Amino acid sequence: MTEPILKVNSVTKCFGGLTAVDDVSFSVEKGEIVGLIGPNGAGKTTLFNVISGYYAPTKGSVVFQGNDISGKPPYHLAGVGIGRTFQVVKPFAGLTVLENVTIASFLKHPKKADAERHAWQVLETTGLADRAHLSAAGLTLAGRKRLEISKALALDPSFLLLDEVVAGLNPTEADRTVELIMKLKAQGLTILIVEHIMRVIMNISDRLVVLNFGKKIAEGTPAEVSSDPHVVQAYFGEEAA
Amino acid sequence: MKTSRGAAILAIITAALLILPLVVHDTFVLRVLTEGIMWIGLAIAFDVIAGYTGYLNFGHGAFFGIGAYTIGILMMQAHLPFWVALPLGGVAAALTALIAGIPTLRLKGAYFAIATWALSRAIQQLALNVEFTGGPDGMRLEAFLNPLFFYYLMLITVGAIFLVLWYLLERAPFGLKLKAIREDEEGAKALGLNPTMLKMQSFILSAIPTGILGGIYAYWITFIDPSSTLGDLVSDQAVVMVVFGGMGTLFGPALGAILIFAFKTIFWAYLSDFQLLYLIILGALIAISVIFIPNGLWGTLVKRKAVARPQEKPEPASEPAALSAVAVPEEGN
Repeated sequence: MTEPILKVNSVTKCFGGLTAVDDVSFSVEKGEIVGLIGPNGAGKTTLFNVISGYYAPTKGSVVFQGNDISGKPPYHLAGVGIGRTFQVVKPFAGLTVLENVTIASFLKHPKKADAERHAWQVLETTGLADRAHLSAAGLTLAGRKRLEISKALALDPSFLLLDEVVAGLNPTEADRTVELIMKLKAQGLTILIVEHIMRVIMNISDRLVVLNFGKKIAEGTPAEVSSDPHVVQAYFGEEAA
Repeated sequence: MKTSRGAAILAIITAALLILPLVVHDTFVLRVLTEGIMWIGLAIAFDVIAGYTGYLNFGHGAFFGIGAYTIGILMMQAHLPFWVALPLGGVAAALTALIAGIPTLRLKGAYFAIATWALSRAIQQLALNVEFTGGPDGMRLEAFLNPLFFYYLMLITVGAIFLVLWYLLERAPFGLKLKAIREDEEGAKALGLNPTMLKMQSFILSAIPTGILGGIYAYWITFIDPSSTLGDLVSDQAVVMVVFGGMGTLFGPALGAILIFAFKTIFWAYLSDFQLLYLIILGALIAISVIFIPNGLWGTLVKRKAVARPQEKPEPASEPAALSAVAVPEEGN
């Protein structure tokens, strides 16, 4: 077996007295889609922020492609191939959709004309090309989530962190996003995804990591995890388990 | 097509300004024009950090004053020639931006405005209290009374500033990166942008031309003191011009500078009995423009055009291109 692309080694993240992520370890193999699930407040987004460099871990380390990246700033991680989206979307509201994506394209295409050309290609992949000249502020929620993905993709990442890109979309929009994610996987991208919608996460993930109160309570294929008593207990309470 | 028409208009304006002194021999007019051109330069330099990057710098005047004093001190005390001293005025302003930027660029919004304002007050107090600046008495420079020389020097300098800023902010990726910082610093980080670095570059890029203009001003006016060059005036006026004209563009601040400066000049030259009214009208104008045209004059004009255009002819590029998937549509810019 080859070296995993991402290794999370006993990562702990505390905010004052609160331990948001508690001694979590797992790894992601190249080409996999790994789903990160758990009830609200389980620490999923905090863990995402640790992996993408927004927080330094209190303890433990994050290893990406063999290099320790814990505590490295996000703009450095973007450079080594980690792209991420935000659960609370962060469009550059005063700029057009094309400009939003072009800014991300600058990472690999320093010339403006090249970056714009690259941004167009990304927008065609994600289906936003027809809205390229609109202001990002004018997009619907579905559009803005798509813009998040477009910006992350424009970095030409090898590893993609998707934070709730499906939640809040209607079923048709959700299906289109799932289709897009599967297309990206087929292109060889490795993906770590946080998602609340079980229908989606169970279908697209190769493996799942389940968090509850900051601790990892289960890991395995969707089938294994969904029958795990700890997981059922975390989601449905004592009696159901 | 749109850009070539803009370039043609600019070329005509430049040509007119170049030949103007051959036609107009009135020193007063020449003097007003020289100062007006200077304000265009100060306003667009201010807009680099304020409009493009989103950091309202109320200490912009400090760069101007430091440039002015650097030239004054170097010429009068170190006896350097003007052409050697002038670039050093830009260097001094850049160093000030570097040192001031380290603590202040961590702040945001009103806090940044307050900190830069306080810092510029501190610099003014310093100039009042040390020996080598001449303290409150100011400093007299060797007089070089050639209005034509200063008119052309100001015109060429501001023209060069405009071209450099236009290239960096509108043509090169740098401008778009600054706007990303303005819109969302955290989001920009995820896209590989280092906000600390970009903000610092922007601050320095704003400081250099301001320091150089301060230097030219000092040599031109031949007398500088802490209140004329290090006071609130430069910062406040730059804020007003940029907000009124339109932030985050180059033409907006230039337009704002021309209109506000013209308004001010007319008032001071012909209606000097009503000076109080000037400030009242200016204040009202700013309040009205902030409320009714938050994008400034230029921003409002451009937006109105942009809204009108797609209805005339819809964007042709994307739909067929999306189907063929490989073809790249020609950029609409």
